[in-house]
Amino acid sequence: MNTQRFRRRTFLPLFFILGAILQVPATAGAATTEAPPAKSVKMNSTADHTKYEELQQPFASGPEVTKACLKCHTEAAGQIHRTKHWTWEFLNPENGQRLGKKNVLNNFCIAISQNYSFCTGCHIGYGWKDKDFDFTSEVNVDCLACHDTTGSYRKPAGNAGNPVVGEPMEMPPGSGKMVKPVDLTKVARKVGKTSRDNCGNCHFYGGGGDGVKHGDMDSSLAAPDRELDVHMDATGLDFTCGTCHKTSSHDVPGSRYMPTAKEKHGAYIRGKGEKVNPATCQACHGNTPHKSPILLKTARMNTHAEKMACQVCHIPAFARGGVATKMSWDWSTAGQKGADGKHMVKKDATGHVVYDTRKGDFVLGHDVVPEYRWFNGDIKYTLLGDKVEKSANPTPINRIDGSPDDGRSMIWPMKVMRGVQPFDPVNKTLVMPHVAGNDDLGYWKNLEWEKAIADGMQNVNAPFSGKVDFIKTEMYWPITHMVAPKEKVVACAECHAADSRLKGLPGIYMPGYSANGWLDILGWLAALTALLGVLIHGAVRITLSLRKAG
Amino acid sequence: MHLKFPMTLMALMIGATGMTTAQAYEGDWKRGRVYYRGVCTTCHTAQGSSPISPNARTMDEWSAYLKADKHAGGKDTVSQYVGKAYRDSIKESNKAAEKYADVPDEELMEDVRVFLLKGAKDGDSPASCS
Repeated sequence: MNTQRFRRRTFLPLFFILGAILQVPATAGAATTEAPPAKSVKMNSTADHTKYEELQQPFASGPEVTKACLKCHTEAAGQIHRTKHWTWEFLNPENGQRLGKKNVLNNFCIAISQNYSFCTGCHIGYGWKDKDFDFTSEVNVDCLACHDTTGSYRKPAGNAGNPVVGEPMEMPPGSGKMVKPVDLTKVARKVGKTSRDNCGNCHFYGGGGDGVKHGDMDSSLAAPDRELDVHMDATGLDFTCGTCHKTSSHDVPGSRYMPTAKEKHGAYIRGKGEKVNPATCQACHGNTPHKSPILLKTARMNTHAEKMACQVCHIPAFARGGVATKMSWDWSTAGQKGADGKHMVKKDATGHVVYDTRKGDFVLGHDVVPEYRWFNGDIKYTLLGDKVEKSANPTPINRIDGSPDDGRSMIWPMKVMRGVQPFDPVNKTLVMPHVAGNDDLGYWKNLEWEKAIADGMQNVNAPFSGKVDFIKTEMYWPITHMVAPKEKVVACAECHAADSRLKGLPGIYMPGYSANGWLDILGWLAALTALLGVLIHGAVRITLSLRKAG
Repeated sequence: MHLKFPMTLMALMIGATGMTTAQAYEGDWKRGRVYYRGVCTTCHTAQGSSPISPNARTMDEWSAYLKADKHAGGKDTVSQYVGKAYRDSIKESNKAAEKYADVPDEELMEDVRVFLLKGAKDGDSPASCS
C-alpha cells in the first residue's frame, strides 16, 4: 500500500510534466488523423504579427518599423499620403478654401506654425519638426499610431511626432518629468485593427488636454458605458470609431471640414451611394428612424427628424463622461506671475486649471447643454490674411451657414468655443504665434507676444506690423458623439416650454414655446365650444331616447 | 491496476491542457479594463467604499496583491470576484459580468492583471477608475 502511494505521489506529477512536454508533438501527430482538432487561432485578425520574420528584430526608431511593415503592406504608405491625416490639408471644393490643421487657426493654441514639434505629436508621421517636413517619405509614415494594440505606444508633445525610444526622456526639458521609452519591437509584433484607444490618443486630447477641444470626445469614450454612448458601450454594441467612420484605403470619412448636415440619401446600402457619408446617423437608421406602436407618435417623431438633426434629441448634453471641456479661453490675461515672480497656475474647487500664466484664463464645463443653430453643412473659416474687425461681436473662426428656409438646413447642437486671442490691429488679421517650446521665442517661455507672433508669422511668410491687440472670437463644433440611450433623450418639455432649449432660433413655431396669448385663448375657446357641443348633443340624444322608450 | 492507466492518462491530459492554456493566452488589457471598471469599480462605488484606481498602486504592488489573492483584508479572495460563479450571480444586473460570463476564469484573471499592470502608477499608461 505504501509502495503504491509512493508510486502515485512520485509518478503522477511526472506524468503531468511529461504530458506538457509531449503536448506539441501530440498535437502535430493529431493532424494526420481524419478529424484533426481545430488549432487555436486569432479570431480578430487573419495574421499573427508575432510570427513575421521582418518583425523578429529590435527596432531603434519608428521609421525602422515602418520599413518592415511596408515589406508586406506595399501600398499602405501611398494610401496614407493621400489622406488628411497625413497632409493636414483639405481643399474645400465648395468654396476653394485650403483648410486642414496646416492652414487653419483656432481659439485654443491657435495654430501650428513654429509649434510643429508639439502639435505633430498627433501627426501620423515621424519627424515633422518644421515647415520643411518631407511629405513624400514613406518610412516617415507612422503605422503604430493607429495600429498599436498594446496601449503603450505614445508620442509625447515636443518630440516632433517621434516616440521616446531607448532611454527615458525628460519632457519638457528641465521639468524633471521622465517619459518612459516605448518598446517598439513589442508594439510592432502586436499591431492590429484600429480601436477607440488609437483614435482617442489624439482626438480625445485635441486642444492640448483630455476633452479640451471637442466636448463630445474625451477619454471617457475609450471604454464607455451605455449611458454615455449607446453605440460605443463597451459591454454592449462596442462600436469602434471605424464602425461609423468606415475607412477605405486608409481614408477616414466624416470630416468636420465638410460635414453632412442633412443626409437625403437615407440608409447606406452596399453597392449604392458610394459618395454617401457613412458616418451619419441616417447611414444606418435611415430618414424615418422612429418606430412606435403608436402610429401618431411615430409620425410626429419622424416629422421632427425632417428638420432636426438626430443629435438634437439624442445628445442631451456633451462632456457627460466626467471629463470637463474648455468652453472659453482668454489669452489676453496671460502673463501674470505669482507673488514669487514665477509662473503660476490657479485651479477651481474641482481641480480644473482656470488660470495659467502661459495661457490666460479658462472656463470649463461638463454636462453642457449645447447651443442650437440652423446648419446646412457649409462652413467658412477665417484664415490667415482675412480681414477682421475688433468689435463687440466676436469674430467667427468658422462661420456656419444655415437658415430655416434654404431647404438644406437642419437644427444642430453645437459647442461654441469662445475666446479672446491676439491679432494684428494694424494689418487687421488674426495671427499665428509661436507659443510652445523651450526657446527664447516661444510665448510660453518668454511671455512676449511681439517676439512670439513675429516668429510664427515669419515662418509662414505672413506680414506682421509688430503691434498686438486682442480680439473676441468664437468657433463652432457640431456635436455628434456621446449618444444617449433612448430613455435619456431630450424630453419634449425641454423644447416645448417657455424656457426652451431652442429659444431664439428663428423660423420655428413650437407649441408650448411659441405661444401667442390670443391664439391660445381662441384655441381653448374652440375646444371648449366643441366639448360643450358634444355634451349638449349627447344629452339631447339621450333625453329623446328615454322619452321614446317611456 | 485497472485504475492506474486512466489516472495516468488523465494526468497527461491535464498537464498538456494546462500548459497549452498557459502558453497560448496573453492577457487582453481592454477586456480587463471593462471588467475592472464594470465590476470591481462599480461594486466598490455601490458599497460606499472608494474605488481603487489602477494608478493608485505600482506594478509591484499590484503583482503582490494579485499573487496573495486576498480581498477585503483576507476575508475572501480576489479570484473569487473574477470567477464564473460570481459572474453568474451578478450577470442579471451587471453588463460586464454578463458579457464575459463564459470567459474562463484564468483568462479573465489574466486580463485584469495585465490591465492593472499597464495602468499602474509606474505602468505604460497609468489609468484612473473611469
